[in-house]
Parts: sequence; structure tokens; C-alpha cells
Amino acid sequence: MVDFLMGLFLASLIVALFTTRLYRLLNWYAFNSMTLGLLALLIGTRLDDDAMLITGALTILLKAGVIPLFLKSISRRFRFIRQIQPEIKVHYAIILVPAILVFTFYLSEPITHMITHNSNYVAISISSLFLSLLLMMEHKNIAPKIIGFLSMENALFLLGITATDGMPMLVELGIFFDLLMAIVVINLLFHREQEEGA
Amino acid sequence: MMVFLLFLPALIIFALSFVRDVRAYKPLALSAFLILIPTVALLPVAKPYRLLGDYLVADALDVYVLLVSSIVGIGVALASMTLHKHVAISHAAYRRFYRFFALFWIGLILSILSNHMGLYWIGLELATLSTVYMIKTNRTAAAHKEAWNYMIVGAIAVSLILFGIILIYASAKPILGEEAMRFDLLILHARDIDASYLFEIGFAIATIGLFIKMGFFPMNLWLANIERASFYPVAALFSGILESAVMIGFFRFSKIAMQIDYDHLFGFIFIYTILTIFIVSFLIFRSKDFMRLFSLSGVEHMALIALFWVSGGSFAALLHFGAHAFLKPALFLSTGVLESQGKYKIAGALRGYSGKRGALFWFLVSLFLLALISLPPSPLFFSELYGFGAMIDTAKSSHHLLAMLGAIFLLLLLLSVIFYKFVELYQAMKYEGASHEKQVYAGELIALVLFACALMALLLPASLRYLRGVAL
Repeated sequence: MVDFLMGLFLASLIVALFTTRLYRLLNWYAFNSMTLGLLALLIGTRLDDDAMLITGALTILLKAGVIPLFLKSISRRFRFIRQIQPEIKVHYAIILVPAILVFTFYLSEPITHMITHNSNYVAISISSLFLSLLLMMEHKNIAPKIIGFLSMENALFLLGITATDGMPMLVELGIFFDLLMAIVVINLLFHREQEEGA
Repeated sequence: MMVFLLFLPALIIFALSFVRDVRAYKPLALSAFLILIPTVALLPVAKPYRLLGDYLVADALDVYVLLVSSIVGIGVALASMTLHKHVAISHAAYRRFYRFFALFWIGLILSILSNHMGLYWIGLELATLSTVYMIKTNRTAAAHKEAWNYMIVGAIAVSLILFGIILIYASAKPILGEEAMRFDLLILHARDIDASYLFEIGFAIATIGLFIKMGFFPMNLWLANIERASFYPVAALFSGILESAVMIGFFRFSKIAMQIDYDHLFGFIFIYTILTIFIVSFLIFRSKDFMRLFSLSGVEHMALIALFWVSGGSFAALLHFGAHAFLKPALFLSTGVLESQGKYKIAGALRGYSGKRGALFWFLVSLFLLALISLPPSPLFFSELYGFGAMIDTAKSSHHLLAMLGAIFLLLLLLSVIFYKFVELYQAMKYEGASHEKQVYAGELIALVLFACALMALLLPASLRYLRGVAL
């Protein structure tokens, strides 16, 4: 089941890279976060780690629910351009994505001997990080860049739950707090933009 | 109690920034002086001193960096008092600047004193997010664009740092458990870490994040553009406090990496920093305004500090770090006056000053400019001597002495390009162009005097002895 969810996590991120519509991108982000939250719940149950269960539930609530809805509402309020054409052409991206995957698996090969369980997941986390960076790079509009940044947070979280069997609670809460702060700052930046435009 | 005192000045600034009365502006800036009480009190106490359990621990290095950044914080708060006389800034934006400056300061004090990788990251992220707003205080289209730019690239950098931290934590968790987040334990047990490859991958990713934050290769112009678009004190805060907090992170991570595989660490940092200096020196040569020039010069100095540090010249690195942290904010703050006649008017920027204030101003700026290019008796001159000496010492114990000498020769060549640019700039500022009258205000002048005194204090034998003790 963990492998299945991990596959869905990676697949949803890859599909997000080829999306040309903002709302669909938000949906893929929500789906990506949902698989991440379920993974945290599953691994947390297996390890009997309450902190991971709490963060898993928070992930589903915030990242798969509140944040995508919030981004959708600000995209309506500030009239974002919803047609988001990636700068990197599809046929180049199709070559780039497997290249990133192969490179990260090659990079992480020695790690697989060092971690007893979930070893392949480190490679998936690192590739998710690179794919999120690609998502940020391939778009000129600010909205997909924000989603790229949020996907990067997801990659970090995935690494946290798989490579370390859960980070200390303090750090996980700190990351959530910072994510919320980032969303507030993004919202305020848009507000200022509108004020200045008025 | 000590923790409370450390955060108190920032909290006072934060609270006062909500007061609309103009009379609150002076105490707003002057309350920054309160930071000196806990910082000086921390100097004589036995180290490591536990400020908050195992989370906030002050060791000799932390206290030195805290002292340097506190002086910069005071200087910037003082100089900001007269910011409205140089740039168009509304009262609301002025108060907002101080509000986010306070948040930024809290974040960085937390980072500097943290003994916990997670807390270090949280502090850095808090500072990054508050900086977005400080940039945005300037209500121009360029500042708005750069605020977004900072938000995105800053977030990438901080995320890379966290990614690296998680990998480092994963590598040490089997031996240290949840305590693997603590810097002191990681340094103590570095040799016991079995998953050294995992650690090195984590270290490399975290270091790239830290380096991006300081404008290293390949993001050389990123920081320069942001500093150009924002108000002068923001750039001063970047170079004086933010880079201090980022640098202390690099010092701590590299202390652990040194024990795991010194050759890997040295090779990685050596190539990265030389590549950065190579590109930056030519960018400096081509820069046409003060802000970008100073910003790029900051990148060059940070690269030198990182190089000296990993070469075993920790004393040189700390001396260079302290001197640069005083020099650069001073120059950024004086840019407000130097650019009185327009952003790109370098010729004649050091002319047109009258009275004692004016004379003192141009004298101090000349001093800072010449000190920045390591003319003796600048502390940077001595730190570079010690630093290059340490590089040769390191090479002697390896089989790469010739390669190292070649690298030092290349570095000197690149530094001479920068030296030439600064001398040309100084001549243009002092001897070319028309002389227009420029106003110097008390706030920025006091800040410059403070930085000059701090710079001279750094060269006192007692300070050098103290630095040697910290470098051990």
C-alpha cells in the first residue's frame, strides 16, 4: 500500500508538470498532498508514532483542503491568468523528467544500503524535490511558482517521514507554521498589489 | 531571563512600530541599544552557556557572531531614523519597515543561538519571510517584482537547507536518536556516523541552500538586484545580520563535515567558492551603481570567508567575517547620501560635502571603501594574509601544493580586478564630476562612527586574542 501511494505521489507530481490549466494544477497539488497525508498516516500507524499521525492528519486537512481552496479563492479574487503554458516544451520535458528520475536514483543508490527500510523512498523524495524545482522553473506566472514551492514542501515532508521515520514534533510544527506564514505573506503581497493598482 | 533580554529590544521595536505618534520614532530606534546588555553579559560567562535547555546554547562562536550582528542591528536602526530624508517613504511604510525588522531580528537571533538544526531553520525561514515585507516597503514596481523574486528564490534556498538538514538528521539518527538534531552532539559524534554518504549528500544540499541565500554561483545577481530595488537599510541588514546567521550555519555544518571526510569538504567548497569569485569579480568590474557593486563585493567576501574556514584558517575567517560585517552595512547606509544626485551618478559622489559633518562623512566613506579592498591597516588585509597562509599550510600536508599555489595566484588575480575597479570608482567619486551640495544627517553619521569604532576595536590586541580563543 505504501508503495502504491508513493507511486501516486510521484505520478501526480509528474502530471502536474504537464498541466496547462491553473485549477487542474491546484487539483493535482491537492491530490499529491492527499497521498502524502495518507502515507504519513500509514507509516505513522506502522511505527506507532503519534506525532506522525497528527502531522499526517494536518497535512490532509491543510495541504489537501484548506490551502488549495484558499489559493483558488485568491486566484478568483485577484483574477489570475488561468491558462498556464509551461515555458519548457512538452517534448523536452518528457525527456527531462525520466532523466531527473534516473539521476536521483543513481545519486541515491549508495543510500539504499544505509537505510534499512523505506530506502527507495529517499530517491523518490529527492526526485520530487527536483521535479518541484522544474515546476517552478518552467512557468513564468507567479501562481504555478507558488504551487511549485508548496510541492517542494511536500517533497521535504516526504523525506522527513520516510528517511528519518519522522522528524521531532517541534520541527514538524515549525514547518507547518512557516508554511502558513508563507501563505499569509503571499496573500498580503497580492493584497498590496491590488491596493497599489487601485 | 537572558533569553527574554535578548529578544526584548526586537519586541520593543515591534510594539512601538504600532504607535502612530511621530514621537515614538526616536525610542523605536534607540531601543536597539538594549541588545548590548545581554550580549556583553554573555561574553565573560563560561561556555557553552545554556540559554534555553539544549535548544538555545551560547558558545564562543555564537556570542561573537551575536555581538557583531547586534552592533550592525544598532547601526541600521540608528541610520533608519533619517531614511525618510533620502527616500520617499510614508509614515505607515516607515513603521512597517521597523515592524518587520523586529521580526527579522528575532528570527536571526534564534538562528545564531540555536543548538538545534530545526530551530536554526525556523529562525532563518522567519527572517526570510519578514524580509519580503521589508523589501516591499519601497513602493515601486521594481521592489514589488524583487519582493516576489525573494519570496520564491529565498523559499527555494531555505527548502534546500531543510532538505539537507533532514538528510543529516537521517544519517545520525541511528546513533543519536531524536538528539541527532543537536549541533553539539553531532560535532561530538561525527566520526561515529556510519551513513557518511547520506550525511555528505545532506551537507552538500544544505550548503548549496546557504550559498544561494548569500548570492553564490549560480545566483550571483539575484541578491544584487533585490538590494538595488529595496531601501538602503534592507541591504545593510542583509550584509550584516542575515549573512552572519547564514554563515554561522555554514560554520556549524562544516565543523561536522570536517570530521567525516575533510578532503571531500575541502574539494567541494574550494571549487564552489573559486567559481563564485571568478564570476563575481567580472560582474563587479562591470557594475555601474553602488548597490550592485557593494552587494557583489559582499558575495566575494563571503566566498573568501567560506574558503578560509574550510582551509583551517578559522581565525582569518572570523576576522574577515567581523570586518566585513561592519564595513558593508556602513557602505550600504552611506549609499543613501552618495546617491543624493541620482542612482547611477558615481562621479562626484564624494564631493559637495560641507561643514564638520560633511568632512567626517566623506573621510569615513573613503576609509571604508579603501578598507574593503584590503588596504592596510584594514582588518581584511590581515585576515587575507592569514587566510592565504592557512591555505598554503593545508596544501603542504597534501600532495596538491602546486595546485593550491596556482589557485591562490588565480584568486589574487581576480582580487586585483576588484581592487582596480574600486580604486577607479574612488577616483571617480572624489576627483571627477560636478560638485553638488549633499546633506548628511546625524542618524547615519552616528551609525558610521559606530561602525568605524567597531572596526578599529577589532584590531586591538585584546580583540585578536579573543578571536583566537573563539577560533580554537
